[in-house]
Amino acid sequence: MPYISRVYKSLLFKVCFRLLFGHRNTVMMKNGIFDEKISRRRFLELSGKAVGYSALASAVAACSSEGGNGGDTNPDLPAVRIPAPSTEYSILRRTSFGVSRQELQRIEQIGIQAYLDEQLDHENIDASAIEATIASLFPEASKTPTELRPGFPDNFGDVVGQLVNATQYRAFFSPRQLYEVMVEFWSNHFSIQVINGLEPVLKPYDDAQVIRPHALGNFRDLLFASANSSAMVYYLDNFLNFKDAPNENYARELLELHSMGVDGGYTEQDIKEVARCFTGWTLDFGTGEFVYNDGLHDKNEKIVLGQSINFGDQRDGEAVLDLICYHSSTAHFIATKLCERFISDSPSSDVINTVASTFLSSNGEIKDTLRVLFAHNEFLQAYDQKLCRPMEFMGQYIRVLNPNLDLPTDNGQLNYLIISVLGQVPFFWPTPDGYPDSSSHWGSTSGLLNRWRIALSVGFGDLYPLTDLIDNENTAETIINRLANEVLLRPMYDSDRQLLIDYIAELTNLAPSGVIPNQYIPDVVKLVTSLLLSSVYFQLR
Amino acid sequence: MPFIRQPLPSPELVYDQQDVLICIFQRGAADGLNSLVPYGDPEYLTKRPNIGVTTSIDLSEGFYGLHPALAPLQAIYNAGDLALVHATGVPHDSRSHFDAQNLVEGGVVNKTELDVGWIGRHLASSQALTNSAFRAVSIAGNVAFSLTGADEPIAIEAIEGFGLGELTGTSYQELLSDWFEPGVPFSSTAQASILAMDELLQANPGQFTPQNGASYPQSELGNKLRQAGQMIRSSLGTEVMCVDVGGWDHHENLPFYLEASLTDLGNSLEAFYTDMGSDMMQKITVVVHTEFGRRVGENFSSGADHGTGGLAYLMGGGVNGGQVQPLAANWPGLADQNLYMGEDLAITTDLRSIFSELLIKRLGRSDVNDVFPGFTGPTDLSLFLN
Repeated sequence: MPYISRVYKSLLFKVCFRLLFGHRNTVMMKNGIFDEKISRRRFLELSGKAVGYSALASAVAACSSEGGNGGDTNPDLPAVRIPAPSTEYSILRRTSFGVSRQELQRIEQIGIQAYLDEQLDHENIDASAIEATIASLFPEASKTPTELRPGFPDNFGDVVGQLVNATQYRAFFSPRQLYEVMVEFWSNHFSIQVINGLEPVLKPYDDAQVIRPHALGNFRDLLFASANSSAMVYYLDNFLNFKDAPNENYARELLELHSMGVDGGYTEQDIKEVARCFTGWTLDFGTGEFVYNDGLHDKNEKIVLGQSINFGDQRDGEAVLDLICYHSSTAHFIATKLCERFISDSPSSDVINTVASTFLSSNGEIKDTLRVLFAHNEFLQAYDQKLCRPMEFMGQYIRVLNPNLDLPTDNGQLNYLIISVLGQVPFFWPTPDGYPDSSSHWGSTSGLLNRWRIALSVGFGDLYPLTDLIDNENTAETIINRLANEVLLRPMYDSDRQLLIDYIAELTNLAPSGVIPNQYIPDVVKLVTSLLLSSVYFQLR
Repeated sequence: MPFIRQPLPSPELVYDQQDVLICIFQRGAADGLNSLVPYGDPEYLTKRPNIGVTTSIDLSEGFYGLHPALAPLQAIYNAGDLALVHATGVPHDSRSHFDAQNLVEGGVVNKTELDVGWIGRHLASSQALTNSAFRAVSIAGNVAFSLTGADEPIAIEAIEGFGLGELTGTSYQELLSDWFEPGVPFSSTAQASILAMDELLQANPGQFTPQNGASYPQSELGNKLRQAGQMIRSSLGTEVMCVDVGGWDHHENLPFYLEASLTDLGNSLEAFYTDMGSDMMQKITVVVHTEFGRRVGENFSSGADHGTGGLAYLMGGGVNGGQVQPLAANWPGLADQNLYMGEDLAITTDLRSIFSELLIKRLGRSDVNDVFPGFTGPTDLSLFLN
């Protein structure tokens, strides 16, 4: 079954072609400056797989090992050598999908705490414009199973495509940046692969009614909503979990991935008992809606974590959820993941314990928990501790190069292709553990190379008004000094800057302070932008 | 630092000294019992009345039979280039996919001992045959855990597209190389990428097409093995390649899904074997294994849950093929009293024994002390030739 429908696919091809490469070839400078005429075919090869169906297939291939974890291939990450960014930059980078100059200026004015408080109070940030756009462009993304079921499987491509597009639009363009970061966090925590059987019918509702309402709410509500989600019931085989014929898949992942963590202290026997508690939690395959079927429920007593559970109905499963949602192992597990998201790949036990105890004392209030994390020195002082993930890489260049946050004219199709190349298509990760959050996974040769290729596509793709980033600058020195500031929003080593100046000077066959003829300035801007997006300065959070 | 072009190694330099190792990891706990059926055990169909395979291809001792979907492997077995080891695994006791994969790739039994990958430890404690950037390769978007510990393993998803195209020249790459100098985060990854791009350009593996009439399935695995063949032919100096194949977690409808997975596996392995030909296969060893097998008894969804002992495949000219271990006489048994924890196929061969013998006889090691420290199991099961 194709991941995107034929209509969508051919539209993608045309739009991508037009947008990336324009209707003309790019003629590089002549006379010993650049002497190649770049053909359209070369642009295509340059962005590699970024056209059409093969991109998606490759992306699935890229993230398709069932649970295959990378190890630590970057021992030099903690040895930070490059000049530090401002605290505001670092905090903004870690609590959003990308930092724009405007936002940076704003946080410098109102202060970090005020900014974070504002973002935590997400309901009071007006996102009506972007939500209206999404509702109109991507209606399938918020439909219920009952609405989607009749059109399945023919609507597969449209539903998946629109769900991914809606997610990307919100991540890159919504003013509720922290909220969208948390939506992504919980989507991965309760990960469901959408390109999987009936999931296209079920996952949109899970996104809209399980994850999004509770992402900055309460963990218990989130956990309960997930357990009652037909998308989760289907994904982890709980619909095959009957009395006399238990299926452990959901029970295992509920404990291992959703709550207590693999070292949380539960046993194999506990998993079996938990499975029995959830017998009968199933779905109606006709409508796709969650349904509890008492006739399938195992009514005998169960012992879970030493506690007897004996309601004999749906309350058995609910009792399990109540047992685990505020278990200290759960607090510790969630706190660890939050600290890994916002601070570094190896946060200290001090900050983890602090966050965990607030999780417990607030009874799972996510905002309170985050407030404590954000107030901790380790969060405030951390910088450059993490490699940004592909969604953050995209968000960063989109928000920096496009500060007005103009929406894509292709309804997000190119962004979909780019995230496929980079290997983080929302809801495509094949196993219930969700996309990894460690630099060791994302910082591979393949990962870095793909970013360099996308950086070139972005630089040369006529996607953003790059020359708006400069004013009258017209020498290698002044253009580069200006662009380094505008694109990186953080200081660059003088030696790195000089290398870039020398590179352009050599290519233009001029001195660094020599005036570059006007017709060549756009190409210089493109090249410098590509390089800046490829630099280490751009990759770190 | 300035980027310096390296000359490529000559093929003889690599292949005459030791085998190229291709390690294929079946992610998701592949079911060994239906892949290589111990039909000679009367309990098999008792334990698997619905999902049991009744049409297996007789292979060995009137006891073991191949799942019909693995028919392409029968000729290789008969030619003496395929050995199968049943009831194998690392006795780690975990039924979590994620933990177990780390433990098997790490070559340890307890999480507290987890460090880096076993293949990485081997590479770190042995002399590289060349200074190729492609000594250790993960044909994937990220480096397999088993390779960690090696010096900058390369993750490459596809040969085609592993480059920056022709829009920019070498001076662009040189600038990146200068920027990512040692000490800068991701410096070694960046340097490896640049070096790898250049080597790949020189070696041009894409010029090679499958030989001897080999026809690879149009699947991820088929595609990856085809590219493995291209890389080997192009004398990139690759010593180890890791490939993942997913989709083995058959909790429900196992017969249906396993048949598809095994068809892909069998055809892909056979295509690779044919493509390489007997001369090259003398210098290549392919190992296929998983993180644990599946439970002996079927579940009520026509599937099987997580278990213990699984199946490993060893293919190559240096394999002492045409045999299945354990011998029928040593088969652990599927009756309740023989099962591990009353539910699982007991492990009779530690995977590390297989890996150890492979490392010693085919990859030139004198011992495995630095690879599996503290491992006291046997390291010579006559699975490989000297």
